[in-house]
This record gives sequence, C-alpha cells and structure tokens, in this order.
Amino acid sequence: MLLTGLLYGVALLILLLVFAKVRSFRVRQAILLVASYALYLTWGVWFGAVLLASTVMNFLVGRWLKRQPTAAVLWAGLAFNLALLAVFKYIPGIAVSIPVASLQRFSRLALPLGISFWTFQAMSYLLDLYRGEELDPTFVEFALYMAFFPVTVSGPICRMTEMLPQFRSEKSVSRHDIGRGLCRIATGVLMMQAAQLLGKGILGGEGINGGFDHLTRWSGLDVWCLAFGYGLQLFFDFAGYSHVAIGAAQMLGFTVPENFARPFASTTPSIFWTRWHMSLSFWIRDYVFLPLAVLRREMWWRNLALVISMVVFGLWHKGSILFVLWGSYQGILLILHRQWQAVQRRLKWEPPAAIWTPISWAVTITLISAGWILFRANSLPQATQMLAAVASPASYLGHVLPRSLYLLVAGLAIAYAAVLFVIDSLDRYAERLGPPATSRSEILEVMVRERWVWIAPMWAAASLLVVTIMERQSGAANVFMYRSF
Amino acid sequence: MTEQAQQMIEHVIHVIGKPGIEIDEGTPLVSSGLIDSMALVDLLLKLEDLTQTRIPPGKVQPKDMDTVALMFATAQRVGRPRK
Repeated sequence: MLLTGLLYGVALLILLLVFAKVRSFRVRQAILLVASYALYLTWGVWFGAVLLASTVMNFLVGRWLKRQPTAAVLWAGLAFNLALLAVFKYIPGIAVSIPVASLQRFSRLALPLGISFWTFQAMSYLLDLYRGEELDPTFVEFALYMAFFPVTVSGPICRMTEMLPQFRSEKSVSRHDIGRGLCRIATGVLMMQAAQLLGKGILGGEGINGGFDHLTRWSGLDVWCLAFGYGLQLFFDFAGYSHVAIGAAQMLGFTVPENFARPFASTTPSIFWTRWHMSLSFWIRDYVFLPLAVLRREMWWRNLALVISMVVFGLWHKGSILFVLWGSYQGILLILHRQWQAVQRRLKWEPPAAIWTPISWAVTITLISAGWILFRANSLPQATQMLAAVASPASYLGHVLPRSLYLLVAGLAIAYAAVLFVIDSLDRYAERLGPPATSRSEILEVMVRERWVWIAPMWAAASLLVVTIMERQSGAANVFMYRSF
Repeated sequence: MTEQAQQMIEHVIHVIGKPGIEIDEGTPLVSSGLIDSMALVDLLLKLEDLTQTRIPPGKVQPKDMDTVALMFATAQRVGRPRK
C-alpha cells in the first residue's frame, strides 16, 4: 500500500512538471492517458485489459448512439455494462454462496479495481448521449475519461459533460491549485488514518472491526457505539480518499465532483443523501429515480421509485440481501420524512428552529446510524441479533466493548466537530478581510488566506502521530474500505 | 412572461411551501437546494400538463429543470405532443 502510494505520488509530481512545461492539450491528454494506464496496470494486467475492453466497447456504442439515438441502442449499451458488472461483481458473490456447477467458474474471478465507478461513468456517457447532449470525444479523450488516474480506483464518479472541456483546456497549473490540492491530500491522508484507528482501536482494546468481526453478543449501547463509530469510520475513510483524489486532480488543474459535504451536520434524511457519496447519489437521482418516477403519476409509484432507487444504491456496493435491506431502509426513511413534511404543512405547524433543528439532527443521525448495522454486519443473523439488542431495554445495562472504543469514537467525533468549527471561523474571518490588499501582510491574514502552507504540514504531522499510535495496536490493518466495492 | 410560466411559478412556490418566498423565471431551484428530487418529479408532471406534452423518461435531468425558463425550453426541446 505504501509502495502504491509512493508510485502515485511520483507520477503526480512528474505529471505536474509535464503540465507546467507542455501547453498542448493533445500532448497532455496522451501523457495523462499513458500515466493513468501505467498506474492502473500496477493493480493487475488483467484489470487493465477489462478496462480497455469496456472503453472500446462503450466508445463504439457511443458512436452508434450518436448516429442512431434510439432506446434500443441505449439499452444494448446499458446491457453490456450491466453484464460486465454481473460477471465480475455479482456472479462471483452468488457462486460462492450457491453451489451450482456452472457458476463455479466465476467464483475465482478477481474484481477489477474501480469497476463500479468507471462502469457507472460509461453508462452516464451513453445516457447523456441519448438525452441529446452534444458530446464528441475522441477515443483518447474517452479512454482518459474512463481511466483518469485520480478517480479510476474509487471515484468520485465523473460526468463526460464536465470532464471533456477540462481535457481540452490548455490552462497552466497554478500555485493556488497546487497548494489547495496538497492541502486536500494531506487532509485526506489524515482522515484515512483516523479511519484506520477506528478500525483497529486504541490501548490494546478492540476497534470497530473487532466489534463486528470478533464479538458474538452485544449490549444495546455496544451496538449504538459500533453503528455510529462505523458511520464515522466509513466517512473518514471514503471522504478521506475522496479528498486525496480531488486534491490530486486539482493539483493538475482538474475539478472533479465533490463526494461529501458535511453529512453528519444533516438535519433530515433527505439532506443527508445530498451530502453523502454525492457523485453516486446524484447519479442515481439523475439516471434511475427521475426516469423511473415519471413513468406513472400516482404518489405510491413515486414512493416506490424512491425505494427502488435506494435499493440500486445499496446493490451498487454489493449484491447481497443486507444491501437490499439497507437500501430499502433508506428509501423508507426518505418516504417517512416526506410524509412528515406533508403532515407539518397540512397542520401549518412550524416549531421554533432553535428547538426543532437539534431534535431533527439527533433523530436523523440516530436513524442513519442504525442503517449502518445492515451495511456492515457480516451476515443477516448477525444484523438481526444486533438490532434485537438495540430494541431490548434490558441489554442497555452493561457493555461488552472496551471503554477505549467508546472514548475513541466520542473523541474523534468531537475532534472532527472542532475542526469544522475552526474552519468555519477562519472562513468568516476571511470574509471580513475582503479582497487581498498588498499593503497588509499581517501574519494572521497570511495564515487565513494561504491555509495550505500550515494546514498541510500540520495534518501530515498528525497522520504520523496516528500511525505511531496504531503501531502499538495489534490486529490487521484494514485497506481502503471502498476499494472492495 | 407567459401565462404558463406564471402558473408554473405559482406551482413552484406552492411546492416549496415557504411563506414569502419570491421566485422568477431565472431563480435557480435545483442547484440552490430549494427543490428536492421528489418535488422535481412534481414539477416535471406539472410541466407536462401546462405544455400539453409528454416528456420521455431519460430525456431530462435536474439541470434541465433548474429554472422555470429552462423547464419550458426543455419541454420545447424534448416534449412530444400528447395523443
């Protein structure tokens, strides 16, 4: 993992130098494509072959769709992509659990890294062409869209409409972009270390991973600690990775979609799903929910379309009953929230925000956290047992998990909230300062405006500290969690 | 402003449900967070009624519905006359 990180770092530096010297977008595209494939091939030559095959196929279907924008051509393209996902992602999982001879040959197929991400990118390209979007990428541009190294492994899921103009840009790399990008990478690395810490635990006690994988019984308090802690772990891990990906792209002058926008500050489930894994949730909204919901006019259909969309969201992660249940649960939460809003509107009931907002926030975070049990549990019986503990008042009298894990989860949540508070304060201060004035160069002003200068090294030092703490902890290190999706 | 656009603005205000809110043809609705996914479906169906068209599924995205002006441009671009 360290070696791969170093390799990506060196490649980024080389590309930065190239982008600083070369202005021609065609040369830049070619170099970026070669670099992207070289990096992707380090994960496995076979993976590169699958990516290339998918790229060629989708490019050809795209050409066909431009000439003949019919639903039949679109469905042919979508069927190809869904079949690719089925062969590499879903059938191997089914083959392991169902002893059917004809399926067994699939059980040993390795999952090409990032297949769910770049396949969804390919499908959005086809759907956009069908919608009439003016897209005319060359093969190199399309291949780059599919393999663009900051986002290939785990997103954010990009759209061709946003990437194509950037691939054709000849703007020079800026000091501001490099600084901001570096700051985001440092932030991401620290967040991913925090996720590792949550997974492993501290002071010799179990972490979130052990709480799910080693324990066989839990108290109600334990389940809530694991559920909230896992939500935090997943957030630190994936949002951290997204920071690294977005930061690496930004250093080269590219803007890729954001994936998280403070989801734990959400005060309703609807708001949460516009802030968590945004590039996927907006994909589902645009290409699944909206086309499905307008097929019929009745309200029950709209609600069903919402549940189906959230089930697709769940199945995107993995083809298992737990993810179907998780998606259904989230869909039902969204419907209930909608019903609640309708009741409030009918009764013309508007409670004071100062009281209502904290209540709404607490209810939202509690309900979303309960859903993580379905997301993370190793089996349906385990999820059932954990949810039964939540529903049993008697189980709240004690706890099995070590105190150190409770402290760690609470400590990291408070630390994260404190960091957000400081960032907001700095933003407010920067707003008050107004545009930069050359005559003013107070140290505080410089620190507020050029935050990356001190934040990046501070986060790097904090990461080292976290690594040192983890060194003392037994248990296997968990790799980036979203890589398995 | 056409009568249809005025009716749509009134419907948007009703859907948003916030007293005193002011909307015109160019007010961003989706990108500003005023309209969520469920409300978007509501507006799409209202647009079909007002323009007497059928908008095929898959031909519209939220960005095409971001303002009232964009909604009518979208209906003109992809809407098919109702049978």
